[in-house]
Amino acid sequence: MLPNKYTYNKYGTRSNQTDRVTKRSMSDSKIGSSVSYSSTDLRSGPSSSSSNTSISSNSVNDTGKSKTQEVNEMDFCNHVLHNDARVRNDSSIKYIRNVNNPFEGYPKLSKLHQLKRSQMIKHAVKPYGVRIPTEKIIPTLYHWIEVYGIKFDVIMIGALVENQFILPILNNIPFHKLCSKPGFLFIWATTQKIQELTNLLNNDNFNKKFRRSEELIFLPIDKDSPYFPGESVDESILLFERQQWHCWMCITGTVRRATDNHLIHCNVDTDLQIESTTTNGKKNAVPDALYRVAENFSNSNRRLHIIPSKTGYDTPVKLRPGWIIMSPDVMINNFNPKQYKEELYSKSFVHYKASSSGNSMNSTQGNGNVYSNAHFLVPQTEEIEELRPKSPVIASKNG
Amino acid sequence: MMIDKALDKFIPFIEFLLDKRDELLVDPIRGELYCLMYVFKLYCMSNGYEVNNLEQDIFTYYIEEFNLISGQALKWDPIVEGNMNINSIIDMPKLNWINLAAIIILKHRLNNNNIGESIDSFEECHSPLKLINNNDSCHNQLLDLLDNPLFSKITVKISSDSIINSSFHCSYDDLDKLLRNQTARTKLSKEKIRLKVLEKPFYEVCNDSSHNQMLTSFCFSKKDYGNQSLTKQTYPDPSILHQKLYQYKNLMPQDIYNCSQTKVHYLAIVNNHTDHYLGDCSYLDTCHKMKTCRYLHYYTLIPSSNDSFDKENQLQLCKAHDYTIGECFTEYNRDIVPPQWINCDVRYLPFQILGKFAAIISDPAWDIHMSLPYGTCKDDELLALPMHELQDEGIILLWVTGRSIEIGRRALQKWGYHISDEMIWVKLNQLRRTIVTGRTGHWLNHSKEHLLVGIKGNPIWLNRKMDFDVVVSSTRETSRKPDEIYDIVERMVGIHSRKLEIFGRDHNTRPGWLTIGNQLQGTNIVEQEVKTKYESYIKNRK
Repeated sequence: MLPNKYTYNKYGTRSNQTDRVTKRSMSDSKIGSSVSYSSTDLRSGPSSSSSNTSISSNSVNDTGKSKTQEVNEMDFCNHVLHNDARVRNDSSIKYIRNVNNPFEGYPKLSKLHQLKRSQMIKHAVKPYGVRIPTEKIIPTLYHWIEVYGIKFDVIMIGALVENQFILPILNNIPFHKLCSKPGFLFIWATTQKIQELTNLLNNDNFNKKFRRSEELIFLPIDKDSPYFPGESVDESILLFERQQWHCWMCITGTVRRATDNHLIHCNVDTDLQIESTTTNGKKNAVPDALYRVAENFSNSNRRLHIIPSKTGYDTPVKLRPGWIIMSPDVMINNFNPKQYKEELYSKSFVHYKASSSGNSMNSTQGNGNVYSNAHFLVPQTEEIEELRPKSPVIASKNG
Repeated sequence: MMIDKALDKFIPFIEFLLDKRDELLVDPIRGELYCLMYVFKLYCMSNGYEVNNLEQDIFTYYIEEFNLISGQALKWDPIVEGNMNINSIIDMPKLNWINLAAIIILKHRLNNNNIGESIDSFEECHSPLKLINNNDSCHNQLLDLLDNPLFSKITVKISSDSIINSSFHCSYDDLDKLLRNQTARTKLSKEKIRLKVLEKPFYEVCNDSSHNQMLTSFCFSKKDYGNQSLTKQTYPDPSILHQKLYQYKNLMPQDIYNCSQTKVHYLAIVNNHTDHYLGDCSYLDTCHKMKTCRYLHYYTLIPSSNDSFDKENQLQLCKAHDYTIGECFTEYNRDIVPPQWINCDVRYLPFQILGKFAAIISDPAWDIHMSLPYGTCKDDELLALPMHELQDEGIILLWVTGRSIEIGRRALQKWGYHISDEMIWVKLNQLRRTIVTGRTGHWLNHSKEHLLVGIKGNPIWLNRKMDFDVVVSSTRETSRKPDEIYDIVERMVGIHSRKLEIFGRDHNTRPGWLTIGNQLQGTNIVEQEVKTKYESYIKNRK
């Protein structure tokens, strides 16, 4: 029969007196008898226990391999723990060797990034800013939708500032009208907001629309970085020093990575972006690297960034070509919906959806309809098509 | 009670203090003695009090007297005791607190009123202002002012030959910094951990390509290797290469040789089939097809190992400390329990036989719709595990990927945990770069993995903030997680706490840990009680 009460507590000792005595005698007998632990036992696991003859041939190989590997592996945690006392502000991220040039050693990938960037710049609408108080954001979005029928394919929400998670705004953004299908959402959160973000994305406004597809992380280089997240004061002492920002990438509608290459390019970027050491301690509301991830992934030309709340004096909201940035703190207030739409038509490759063919042929009539039934894309070149990573139809490059 | 009429001369000053109050302490007066005098003069003039040639030293004396009769109602920075010895205008003390209650009492006394009257307003005012002397030019001052509106600087011309530049900031940043400061406990714990944890050898990487080229030409010369293809299987031992380098020591610049002894170098392996223009292999040292792969691979040349390093450090390790908060009292004389493991199907093992644990790590084989070389586990089966039996109070760490992040979060909550953190493992390749190629994810490439951290109960005994929530570590065999996590957990819960790993494999067994999973070789239990219970469970099952 199983005893239903345990006597080992989490400290590995026992809780009451009588038990302790038995423990003592037990451990004494252990020492007396043959259950002494050899040093090899302590270090290596079961593979070194010689009884297994069947796997011996394998394990010899394994140990040989793991030995050389272990020598190559550096324990950054251990190094930083000790080095932190000697060097101020050490961080294991500093030892990553491709922080400033992530594609070092991969000429094809660097080239691809360069080409995509220049193509994006070539077709980008001019940088627009909408300086607007927090409470006017939702009414303005409705105004754009109703009067101008404006839609977006890429929507980013929030910034690398803690106070941006404003539920009344997030819950009321009219995604069903504002975001086209397929559409892409990039939404920022700190570690402590993740649970709320999870709940948020499961509520009606989001869940019927967006599937959480990737979890992007942005890491500041060290504690001195302007991007180093602050600790919220209301929490008890944290388990770890927090060093990360989260940005969830969500998708609505159907896109297939194998066939929809006019809409998206997959595997161009990674889900981890690290602050470059060349930023000279200057902060922007959202680091360029993250805008680039969105631009490289979606080939759409309609991009909106909503920063719901003030970002503070130290965090300027800079404009970016190809984006409309809506924020109480954006540097320039120059948005004009009419001008934007005209520019969008002239700069983008307009691709009409097959389903709305009847309407779309006549572009002079029912402008709003055409607008909502068309893709406004950044055209891609053959060279890009050749260089971009593709779904495994052909064997991969090392294959 | 008679009040000396001579004291009437303080009445204007009392009125002045009660009228201005905090204004005297904040911008722009900031409690400066010389400013106070001018402000007081103005106040007197506009309120019809008489002021006869009030000079600085007279005013100072006046204030000294006032402080005497008011029972030191004015507090100064630096603290003034008795006479204010004012040698120069620059190191004059600054007023930083006014005891309004004392002044109100004084006023009542001078007016022959009863003190019994209520003192209606009693406020304490503090001056958080910090003064910094700054000799920047006006231009820079202006730029600074534009840069940061919370930061103010004032240049005051006292006389033709003395100018005071003073600036202060009462920014939220300072306040924030103060709040973010490490607590003494964190500092002490960290220091203790440093003394206890053995420092491992660490080599930086040499980024000088000429070094790498030179060393490659010596190590892998055509003379020695000719047309022979170099692959992982035919790599020479590092000691052979170091012998070779020692042999050719005089043929290369001294600094390159020295560098090869202190830093890591990556030597390019150029085989006949290698195509330079393609760049590095995505898989580098984990490439399975090195014999034919046309991309570049590298040999890692680490400095010849220094055995004395370990021993030296071992000696420095300190077992006992004065600072023992969070430790158990037998810390110093206990041996760490050797590795224990049980080969079992985790789904059917009754968890009661295992006892309770301070920390649990689990790397479940999530069913992520991919063909993997091992069996996967259904979500429902994972969620149904009786995890509540394993911990009353403690932490759990759960590895998750992609789709399973969501399920993992749900599972932790269902098992009664509060999700406190999400750790990130930044995966590095052989060249200590993040992994950016190789289509490692569906929409984007994956360069990191997630480890959810949950807390149950209120474990005040945890050693918090010893590490970052980001672990940078190299990749190893498929799905093998970095060992650094064990160290981090041990730092948090202590080496003697009971620790459990669920779904572990042979390489996961470790001293101080109990590992359970169906891919382990056999069973090894050391803790007598667990052993007895396990044996009786096995017996009953049969």
